[in-house]
Amino acid sequence: MQVLRPLTARARFVFGVLSVLLPLLIWCTVSYVPAVWHPQVMITNPGSVSYLDIGAHMSREAFDGEVADAKAEGRAVPQGIRANPVYLPSPGAVLKAFYTSFKTPPETKDGQWLHQSLWHSIQIIFWGFLISSVFGVPLGILCGAYAAVARVNESFVEFARYLPAPAFGALAVAILGIYDGPKIAIIVIGTFFQQVLIIANTTRKLDPALLEAALTLGTKSRQLLTRVVIPGILPDLYRDQRILLGWAWTYLIVAELIGTTSGITWFITQQARYQHFPNVYAGIAMIGIIGLGTDMVLALVGRRLFSWERSLAKSA
Amino acid sequence: MIQSTGLKRWLHAVLLVGLSAVAGVSHPATLSIGYSDWPGWVAWQVAIDKGWLKDAGLDVKFEWFDYSASMDAFAAGKIDADLMTNGDALVTGAGGARNLMILVTDYSNGNDMIVARPGIKSLKDLKGKKVGIEIGLVEHLLLTDGLKKAGMTPADVTLVNAKTNETPQVLASGQVDAIGAWQPNSGMAIKALPGSRPIYTSAQAPGLIYDVLAVNPASFAAHRADYAKLLKVWDHVVGYIADPKTQPDALKIMSARVGLSPEQYKPLLDGTHLIGVTEAKGVFRKTTGLDSLYGSSNNADDFNVKNAVYKSPQNLDGYIYPALTMAQP
Repeated sequence: MQVLRPLTARARFVFGVLSVLLPLLIWCTVSYVPAVWHPQVMITNPGSVSYLDIGAHMSREAFDGEVADAKAEGRAVPQGIRANPVYLPSPGAVLKAFYTSFKTPPETKDGQWLHQSLWHSIQIIFWGFLISSVFGVPLGILCGAYAAVARVNESFVEFARYLPAPAFGALAVAILGIYDGPKIAIIVIGTFFQQVLIIANTTRKLDPALLEAALTLGTKSRQLLTRVVIPGILPDLYRDQRILLGWAWTYLIVAELIGTTSGITWFITQQARYQHFPNVYAGIAMIGIIGLGTDMVLALVGRRLFSWERSLAKSA
Repeated sequence: MIQSTGLKRWLHAVLLVGLSAVAGVSHPATLSIGYSDWPGWVAWQVAIDKGWLKDAGLDVKFEWFDYSASMDAFAAGKIDADLMTNGDALVTGAGGARNLMILVTDYSNGNDMIVARPGIKSLKDLKGKKVGIEIGLVEHLLLTDGLKKAGMTPADVTLVNAKTNETPQVLASGQVDAIGAWQPNSGMAIKALPGSRPIYTSAQAPGLIYDVLAVNPASFAAHRADYAKLLKVWDHVVGYIADPKTQPDALKIMSARVGLSPEQYKPLLDGTHLIGVTEAKGVFRKTTGLDSLYGSSNNADDFNVKNAVYKSPQNLDGYIYPALTMAQP
């Protein structure tokens, strides 16, 4: 365990697997080993207690109280098994929900399959991120390259990045309507300002030796930007974009609640309203899997594109 | 010239495709109506799935929203009409989005509840206790009404502002003694804390909360005949749900819309009193009691002003539009 020492291939593999298994192991332990947490009792037989139903959850203290009362009065004793609150379903229940939710046909005639909803969400993210990048990336590079541009823009951008994107929901609906427009706008507002600052910073970190060398060789001012700065920061820029794409995803749930309810958010919020928490966690897992999957693919593509950049190979 | 128009047309097409891809523009229907997760509104799904809207010669698109998002969309003028409570119609109107309540869908008949933890059996037991409630919304109105009937004042309880969606967890946490919520949240709250029970419900104050179709006045002026047809479709829906022979089919459609089983949905429907055209004629009569939309809205208006939801009382005659219902045979 030496500082900044790369790992062997074998160690990389083992630690990679562990990073997936450890959180799962914790979740399994909490779910399947009653001694760990299980603060409630799930009723299997209500006995003589009129207000209990099979499947109801109650705290252990309240349950013990009812059992003691029933025993003292010689009534039928309620029975139950220790359980976690419904808000924390077990990994098995979530896995099953994950499978069945894809197999369940749309409930109504105008309804959508889950994969259609997911695809809709992916499109929202795609357009939101694309629009943000079309403006954010060039502006970020210009801010990084020219101090004057930075001075003109960055105070406002610094201010704007603290604004809560979802609070613009009603305004976005008023301007862009009730369908995908306002949702995309929220993703853009949430991503754009961070994007400008991060990319400006990346641009500033370009090795000054490269600039000096280029100037010594007689590069003109404009060429300096297109031939030196941009190629110089490309690998880092690519990595920034990967991080920012993840950022865009975090705005999805608030964005999709604006205007007509759509996409994976419809699934997650509706299931949460009726407390079908295994489905909720399955929906959350889907977002995680899509996010991680895209990032892994992008990392792979990045290693091909920027084969000279060693830091990319390490991080991927 | 021909070439240049061709080019223009091509550019136009590209622009249109691009824009519609971004904005998700679909074929605009004549009327768009917002609806959300409340039995009296989910009932419209029956008309949608059965094709009754088309049969009536209507080109209406029902858009599914989160409730508060539907009011935002209506306030922004992006939909023609929205299904909301009469109190919220006043709030939306006071905020600048004028609307006409032309159709009453239902009143809550037990779905709205004040649910108390085990050990608290009546509103009187709540004296000095904490109640988790979304301040300024309908459950707050329900609680105020109940306290008044129990001879208490709002000052007798401490309100804790809580999102209605989260009230089941709030009650189960044990940090409040009661919560106020509508279905399905109220039912979930009872389930999440066995022994807890409703101590006051909208069944004890029928007509306190009416649900209405609030229409943009400009859209109403332009499509008056369509709205009259919509009224007939609604009457059909109410009849179909009320008839024991067809109710199971209606329950199947409605429960599917929200992702429940018909058995799970039955109690939610039972807590809603749907109002057909004949009964609506009585509701549109101008009296001061809660059996009239006027009396109920007046009550909601007082509550809204008192709780500073908006500043000055609203002129109800500008909101309530009985003529369409009264003209029905």
